[in-house]
Amino acid sequence: MTKISDNKARNRFEFYAAYYPQIYAGKKAYTVDELIEGIKNVDGFSIFYHVFHPVFSSHAIPLDVHNDFAFWIREQLHDESLAYKVSDVEGGEPRTVEQVRDDILKILETSTNKVRAEKPFHFITCRPVIFNTMKVASSIDEFIDVLSSITMRSIVYHFVFRRVMGYAPRNDFSLWLQQEFNAAELADALSKIDPQTYTNEESLRKDILIKISKVIYS
Amino acid sequence: MIEKYAEIIGENELDALFKISEKLKGVSVLHVNSTQKGGGVAEILNKLVPIMNELGIKTDWKVIRGDNEFFSVTKSFHNALQNGKGNLDNDNFAIYKKWQEINSTEVPLDYDVIFVHDPQPAGLVEKKGKQKWIWRCHIDISNPYPPVWDFLKNYIQKYDSMIVSSPVFGRSDINVPQFVVPPAIDPLSVKNREISSFTIERILRKFDVDPGRPLITQISRFDRAKDPQGVITAFKGLKKHIDAQLVYLGSPASDDPEGEIVYEETLKAAEGVKDVHLLLLPPDSDLEVNAFQRGASVVMQKSIKEGFGLTVSEAMWKGKAVIGGNTGGIPLQILHGYTGYLVNTPEEATHYLIYLLRNDEIRERIGRLAKEHVRNNFLITRELRDYLMVILLTMGKSG
Repeated sequence: MTKISDNKARNRFEFYAAYYPQIYAGKKAYTVDELIEGIKNVDGFSIFYHVFHPVFSSHAIPLDVHNDFAFWIREQLHDESLAYKVSDVEGGEPRTVEQVRDDILKILETSTNKVRAEKPFHFITCRPVIFNTMKVASSIDEFIDVLSSITMRSIVYHFVFRRVMGYAPRNDFSLWLQQEFNAAELADALSKIDPQTYTNEESLRKDILIKISKVIYS
Repeated sequence: MIEKYAEIIGENELDALFKISEKLKGVSVLHVNSTQKGGGVAEILNKLVPIMNELGIKTDWKVIRGDNEFFSVTKSFHNALQNGKGNLDNDNFAIYKKWQEINSTEVPLDYDVIFVHDPQPAGLVEKKGKQKWIWRCHIDISNPYPPVWDFLKNYIQKYDSMIVSSPVFGRSDINVPQFVVPPAIDPLSVKNREISSFTIERILRKFDVDPGRPLITQISRFDRAKDPQGVITAFKGLKKHIDAQLVYLGSPASDDPEGEIVYEETLKAAEGVKDVHLLLLPPDSDLEVNAFQRGASVVMQKSIKEGFGLTVSEAMWKGKAVIGGNTGGIPLQILHGYTGYLVNTPEEATHYLIYLLRNDEIRERIGRLAKEHVRNNFLITRELRDYLMVILLTMGKSG
């Protein structure tokens, strides 16, 4: 494996990054039923924003719930059981926001909660603003070095956003590792990380690097 | 100047700002508002405009003109939009229109993007040409007085996009894209940067405040929306338990003719209450504001209506536990029990004042979390980045 990490790729990996400006989605919910209605009708970017964007610590929610829907259900509907089920919905590969949306709807549709919230859930959507970080990797060694220090805006863009929004069938890192180095074991190890339950981007970076080091030094 | 923010926000965040601004090279931007000094909008523009120029985006700032009659009308607009109540007739709307006409002949339009801040200059959009127009709304428009909102809406619908400070203020009765951009503070300004304990003590003493006793501070205009009488009531409740002092510091703004009346009302409410200092200082009293926030044991912002409440972020940035009104943009800053406390009544405010003054560790822990929350979300570099992204998306240049 040490040899592989020195090999040069035919196509180098170019690191892009993105921010996701918030846009009011024009919908709000006071009850589980209204939440279901909203989730059914918002665009995929909105599901991304409420379920995966909390990976950034700037997206403030308490650490013990993993997405906006769960936080609101606990705070406003006072239904911890329902909140934790929604909180722990699976977001790993190959799931996209559409499958996550369906899973959350299935969980909510089993609920008998009839509480009306004092404060509504406001649906937000977003659009990515993407930029080239000008960082590149031509080998696995270089790739690891860049991952160690690059903005997490880049890691989330390649590792989460493009895959869950359906722009890529798999996270960009695994695709590149597989395609350029035939590093199936490494690619698969990264694919097993579910980003949905992270609420601190540096924890996600750490876990990605641990997975890589485990495969490389095993 | 922009490089100075790196040690606060980190190299990666600053680099992103440069990368995003590169996409706007050659674009010219004009900001339009109604006051040069006083209030959060003027304060943020004073910083944003030079930084945008430094990033290579040609940016200017124009302040509209108006007489007392016009600013009385726009203050009534402001109150009617935030409180859901009003008493405006066609004469008021005619005065508003007259000054839009006057100003439209004086505001230059040869820019690619025109940012119009708040309702006062919103009618300038009637002169819209090939520019992209963005309406930046700094106030709470979630429950407006319908006649005023309907009047204003006719203008807003002509904009290419608009910005609200919180999703709570989003409107479902207009088709204009509504970006959510909370305002922010400048950590390097005189108002927010570190100052010595000697300076803090000197300023407190200058205004007869005892640095050795607990101090509660509220910094805000003398405006009923900031609930100055509620602050006095909450302080009276605290005084029954703890020998504290209160400083309520406000500044007049040229577009707020009501300030003097509310100041008199507050003076009356504070009659006979010991250790209350009602200070009316000039709008540029930034060092004094800094000192009173840093010298405070607990900071209050007990608004009953609020656009955003930048004074909350100011105090949180200084590591203070803040008790804020549960309204407008304050809940975005104060996550109840984590980064401060939200209250609905003066009695609740009294309760948390006592709790925080009696528990040093909790006060300090909340202050630490509050500062990090502001670092992540409410610094000027984040707001600037959001504005640049709104321009990009409004111009259809996001990718």
